[in-house]
Amino acid sequence: MEALTGEVIVRSLGQVGGMVAFTLLGALALEVILYLVLGRLLKSRYTLPYMLLAPAAVGLALLVVYPIGYEVRLAFTNMSLRHFREYTLSLAQGIENLRWVFTEPVLKQAKFFPVLGRTVLWTAVNVVFHVLGGMALALLLNRPMRGRGLYRTLLVFPWAIPQVIAVLAWRGEFHYEYGFVNVMLQRLGLQPIQWYANPLWNFAAACITNIWLGIPFMMVIILGGLQSISREFYEAAEIDGASAWQQFRSITLPMLQPVLTPAVILGVIWTFNNFNVPFLINRNELETTDILVTALFRAAFEYNRYGFSAAFAMVSFLFLFAFAVVYIRVTGALKGVYE
Amino acid sequence: MKKIVWALLVLSVVTALLVSGCAGPAPQPTPTAAPPAAKPEEATPVPPAPTPKPPEAVKLILWTKEGEEALDWNKALVEEFNAANPGITIELVKKENVEVLREDFQTASLAGSPPEMLWTVNDHAGPFVAADIIEPVDGLFDLSVFVDSALAAVKLEGKTWGVPISNGNHLMLLYNKKLIAEAPKDTDELFAKGKELTGGGNYGLVWNQTEPFWLVPWLGGFKGKVFADDGVTPTLNTPEMIATLQFLHDMKYDAQIIPPESDYDGADTLFKEGKAAMIINGDWSLSSYKDVLGDDLGVGRIPMVSATGEWPKPYTSGVYFMLAKGLSGDKLEAAKAFINFVASRDKQLEMVRLLKRLPALKEALDDPLIADDPILKGSADQMVVGTPMPTVLEMRCNWDAMKPEMQAVLADTKTPEDAAAAMQSAAEACIKALE
Repeated sequence: MEALTGEVIVRSLGQVGGMVAFTLLGALALEVILYLVLGRLLKSRYTLPYMLLAPAAVGLALLVVYPIGYEVRLAFTNMSLRHFREYTLSLAQGIENLRWVFTEPVLKQAKFFPVLGRTVLWTAVNVVFHVLGGMALALLLNRPMRGRGLYRTLLVFPWAIPQVIAVLAWRGEFHYEYGFVNVMLQRLGLQPIQWYANPLWNFAAACITNIWLGIPFMMVIILGGLQSISREFYEAAEIDGASAWQQFRSITLPMLQPVLTPAVILGVIWTFNNFNVPFLINRNELETTDILVTALFRAAFEYNRYGFSAAFAMVSFLFLFAFAVVYIRVTGALKGVYE
Repeated sequence: MKKIVWALLVLSVVTALLVSGCAGPAPQPTPTAAPPAAKPEEATPVPPAPTPKPPEAVKLILWTKEGEEALDWNKALVEEFNAANPGITIELVKKENVEVLREDFQTASLAGSPPEMLWTVNDHAGPFVAADIIEPVDGLFDLSVFVDSALAAVKLEGKTWGVPISNGNHLMLLYNKKLIAEAPKDTDELFAKGKELTGGGNYGLVWNQTEPFWLVPWLGGFKGKVFADDGVTPTLNTPEMIATLQFLHDMKYDAQIIPPESDYDGADTLFKEGKAAMIINGDWSLSSYKDVLGDDLGVGRIPMVSATGEWPKPYTSGVYFMLAKGLSGDKLEAAKAFINFVASRDKQLEMVRLLKRLPALKEALDDPLIADDPILKGSADQMVVGTPMPTVLEMRCNWDAMKPEMQAVLADTKTPEDAAAAMQSAAEACIKALE
């Protein structure tokens, strides 16, 4: 690898300099125009908010809206390796792509609904363990104890490690011959497990890794929620003779709900869309560990079915969108935002 | 109202300008885009430049599939070439493996920013030609200096799509003479000796159980082929494939001479650590094993299949340079200079010495360096019974169809019969989807 010298830094800055300069100048031009139009010409009292929001809105439009638009267009094409540069765009092709998503294997053998079912299972298992593990640790940390700061730091550690690095480290630990997990199992007198080749254990390995990675986030969120609950509630409950479980059920859980609901929604969305863990842990590329996003990646970039994959992505998006809408309606999670 | 309309109009113009600007920086005059200073072969007259300019530096990106010693050799070649050619800079990028290289190159080509050169295997020509993302090399190089079989492996649609670097790229049986004096001649002997050598964390044989590249030699040994005579119709659901899958299953569960789980790196490490007596691996690994085992490294054919009396037939091909679509001008000239440098007799023999690979250059093949080397002799002996690897795009479908099913049989989650049937249906569906 090339050493990080002054020359390398200057050269690197030169390579991205054009884009950075363009972005800065573009943002500046946008602000000036907005100021002149809204502030001077229209005398709008919302000039400043619009000026502050505009760069982010343009950035989001370019980085999110445009790619989504491109994806929708792609879903109506027959783009594949044979039709890589010249492909046809038609409504009929779009309908055909959608039909394939539900009737043909999205990978080599796995069809859409088994993969969707696995994704739901993956999400449910992970989020349940994230919440239970995070809650347990947060309850333990939410009491006076010696070395609490140190424990908190250590427990947040998995969150601080870049996910890809943590997952690759875990993958190494699941190696049949040399991995820590099998070495420990053998020391305990148990049989080593085929973590890479056995479909069930490979899925379990992905879950274990993701649970390890996800607990700190929930712990931090729940701990914050716990610390905001006034001690007076518990003191009153103790006077009334409430047991610890009754206090947890009637005080802690309801008071945590405003914090827990958005955290669970985020957890579900992140886990449903988690790519790194199931993709990297699945070293043998078993279809039985693939969830929707990894199957989508394989369909597009390993099997080169670009048009089909775009339709597949649309369907996956709609499922997640429907879930989010229903969940938000049922729990009223976003009431605080619009009320 | 007028004010609002005017305001919206101005905002639209600004947004449009921003969007068009974000499509990418304005094209810079590169050596490729600039009119060549003076090229005798150019038919179009070039307008004279108002003032003579020194030739601008040319930078090329080369993606390589190599690792370990071969990657070191790649780096040394690039450094030597860059030092001798001040106007040219080759930047070497190592890709994780051949599959990652293929996928990334397709994606980069789709995004319009592929690397200029690839150092890769022949079967990538199939998808790359279908996608129209590489250039043919006919007319750019004197291809008559290369071995015919090496050129044949990258011929498609009547054109040659790669410049050969090495010849072979085939699997063979490598063994540790400290653990086993001679390579087993047939599979009965392989199982018998393997059983003796397996136990206590040691194994008789190791190989990459995740890739069907390791399945096809055995399929050949059972007299099977992945395509019908037309070269594009998959023939995966055959008695030969079922027998092959059953054989691999027996190797793992009955004879138990291979590890319960082993990918490329796992097999490689076990062999290098002396925990595996034999490994089936390719010519790309010879130099690293030679470094570890020295004279204890033995090379031979993959044992004959006792049931059929046939030698397993590993795929043979080679390693090639491929050029990205649209490469022209000074960049093309620089790429040609680098490729000719690597394909020179000196560098080809250097490869033989360092990497123990068979050269693709005819005049280098006659060198005593090859005839006198027992490792290369063993490698060449295996290549004799090999079979050329298909380059057609349909082979991509076969690889993708075979991989999960081979793994399912080895994980004991599918019978060979079901796996063979599933392979066939997946390959057919894939070929249908290509259209």
